[in-house]
Amino acid sequence: MVAVAQHPNIELITYAEVTGVTGYIGNFNVTIKKKPKYVDWDLCTGCGTCIEKCPTKKIKDEFELGLGLRTSIHMVYPQAVPGKPFIDADNCTKLTKNKCGVCEKVCPTKAIKFDDKEEFINKEVGAIVMATGYDLFNWEEAYGEYGYGKYPDVISGLHFERLVSAGGPTGGKIKRPSDGKEPKSVAFIKCVGSRDDTKGKSYCSRACCMYTAKHAYQVKDKIPDSEAYVFYMDVRTAGKNYEEFYQRALNAGARYIRGRVSKIYPRGDRLVLKSEDSLLGRPVEVEADMVVLATAMVPAAGSDELARTVGFSMDKDGFYQEAHPKLQPVETFAAGVFLAGTCQGPKDIPDTVAQASGAAAKVLGLLSKTRLATEPMVSEVDINKCSGCGLCVPICPYNAITLEEIQERGHHGPITRNVAVVNSSLCQGCGACVPACRTAALNTKGFTDDQLVAEVDAICL
Amino acid sequence: MSKRVGVFVCECGTNIASVVDTARVAEEAGKFPGVAFATTYKYMCSDPGQELIRKSIEEQKLEQVVVASCSPRMHENTFRKAVAAGGINPYLFEMVNIREQDSWVHSDREEATRKAIDLVKMGVSKVLRNQPLQISTIPVTKRALVIGGGIAGMQAALDIAEGGHQVILVEREASIGGKMTQLDKTFPTMDCAA
Amino acid sequence: MSIDSKTSWQPRIIVFACNWCTYAAADLAGLNHLQYPADVRIIRTPCSGRMDPMLVMRAFNRGADGVLLSG
Repeated sequence: MVAVAQHPNIELITYAEVTGVTGYIGNFNVTIKKKPKYVDWDLCTGCGTCIEKCPTKKIKDEFELGLGLRTSIHMVYPQAVPGKPFIDADNCTKLTKNKCGVCEKVCPTKAIKFDDKEEFINKEVGAIVMATGYDLFNWEEAYGEYGYGKYPDVISGLHFERLVSAGGPTGGKIKRPSDGKEPKSVAFIKCVGSRDDTKGKSYCSRACCMYTAKHAYQVKDKIPDSEAYVFYMDVRTAGKNYEEFYQRALNAGARYIRGRVSKIYPRGDRLVLKSEDSLLGRPVEVEADMVVLATAMVPAAGSDELARTVGFSMDKDGFYQEAHPKLQPVETFAAGVFLAGTCQGPKDIPDTVAQASGAAAKVLGLLSKTRLATEPMVSEVDINKCSGCGLCVPICPYNAITLEEIQERGHHGPITRNVAVVNSSLCQGCGACVPACRTAALNTKGFTDDQLVAEVDAICL
Repeated sequence: MSKRVGVFVCECGTNIASVVDTARVAEEAGKFPGVAFATTYKYMCSDPGQELIRKSIEEQKLEQVVVASCSPRMHENTFRKAVAAGGINPYLFEMVNIREQDSWVHSDREEATRKAIDLVKMGVSKVLRNQPLQISTIPVTKRALVIGGGIAGMQAALDIAEGGHQVILVEREASIGGKMTQLDKTFPTMDCAA
Repeated sequence: MSIDSKTSWQPRIIVFACNWCTYAAADLAGLNHLQYPADVRIIRTPCSGRMDPMLVMRAFNRGADGVLLSG
């Protein structure tokens, strides 16, 4: 991460979103919205005094998925890159009620800027890599049998990551969210939202089998005399050293039960899981202190809107559509736009890194060229037929057509008149202008009226 | 412009030939007005297949080429190059899709073959009206944009930057790192994620 | 997906398919080997915006039984 921030060739723009893309391969013009941070990061040294002194301390920390608390002026997490704080405007009493302003007073470099506004900047780029990642499937809305989220000790795998992380809210001690007790029995349920056509998604999320094995191993490793139960449909360990890792979890004592959990309900301060063991063909009941759900990966919130902004397509599940499932896995149908990571489909870290390097190789190939050959199948105007009516101008989605004045020799001296002119590097050859032309002066090369009529006639005659 | 169309029908191993009677397609194609030469080959996109196109252009003095094979979205550029290597403008070429839109979606041999013949007829009819086109070039801005600063975006940005080009990395949150930074140790090596 | 094709009448249907979506989708149908009746003939267009009503009229005029514009 630090390598990214320090690289002389990388300009890092955080807390910002891409809101507009125009142009085409090799020549995109991108509009970037920088959201107000209320801290001038050029002045800020990241000393952290403001965070220490901020009186609004009881906000649920998004990074800790609500398992920890944070202040209003904060960093995403303590090791954030760049290591500078920003103000959460919705929860800042200065910005909402004009009271407080403590951070401004304590800041030694006068970096606090309560009048910060959002800012739009434009950048010219030749290629775009999409790496918008994933979110977790919202199981609380779909899985009533697991309590719709009303049991605090039924958590997602990402919550578990925070509980087991040395940098997390519990300092790496596994404690259950409801009462902070160390769970002696932890149950894991795989494929929550994945491989479930009725309530979730039809696809396999690919990383869950492995991280659940890791979680089960961590429970056995960190909590003495603990039990780790894993309810599964299949165990899929297709990756280098993956099967060996799964065996390691089994050897550590994780108990794998093949079956879908049909219901979770409380008994005392514990949770009861009703399932079947489909290998033994009989029902099972497990009591657990905590339940961890391996929820499906879904496309990141807002990724659909971004795809429309940049101008390429998505698949049925909202993941970004690659140009070919086998032969062009990092390209999109939009030339010059490439895909990296889970925005294209669920995958684990090694696959993500591999695809990102693949996308980078494609970008480097493109940027190594000084000039790029263009598709010659674009529209052209026969100026002898063009009446200069201009109907085609607003129809062109790429603003490639303009009206220009030309001079001609007439019977009584020179005449000036308007004709349509197509800019061949802006024109994408869609041909939308052709039907609009009343004098048939416009034609799209490679798809002329003559050619298309010939095809129609060939079938019918 | 003279009209001497060459039609090349690909069998794609058995992908096309098992459903479409390619020999009959070539035979029928040979009768279409303007067609001077029609043949089949097992894999038209292979080196010998492309060589067949190139040599036929030379020997048969072909002026336009139609290849009936897979989708143009797959191999249009391959065949444009082959046609250009034979000395014809690469846009005096049409591709006819008798795999994705014929042999793979139909099972009745007679109907599929008739469809293939029709599709080739359309292609021949169109190519006779094709004009030679010239490729022009546009400049390239030597800078990349990476949207998303998680593990994928960081890796892509670093690789491009290491390749010597400028990268703009845009991240929605105030810190890069993404979901990866929320993870503890990662499988299968149990090294730390951050 | 399957469409019953066991009727004796064979219509002549012309599809004008946008290269970027419908034509790609027809290719995808092929990749997945989804079977459909062999009566359709697809004409590739660079975009559905290219479609001229004249082409539809031409198709019907020359005896097409159906025209599908998709993009």
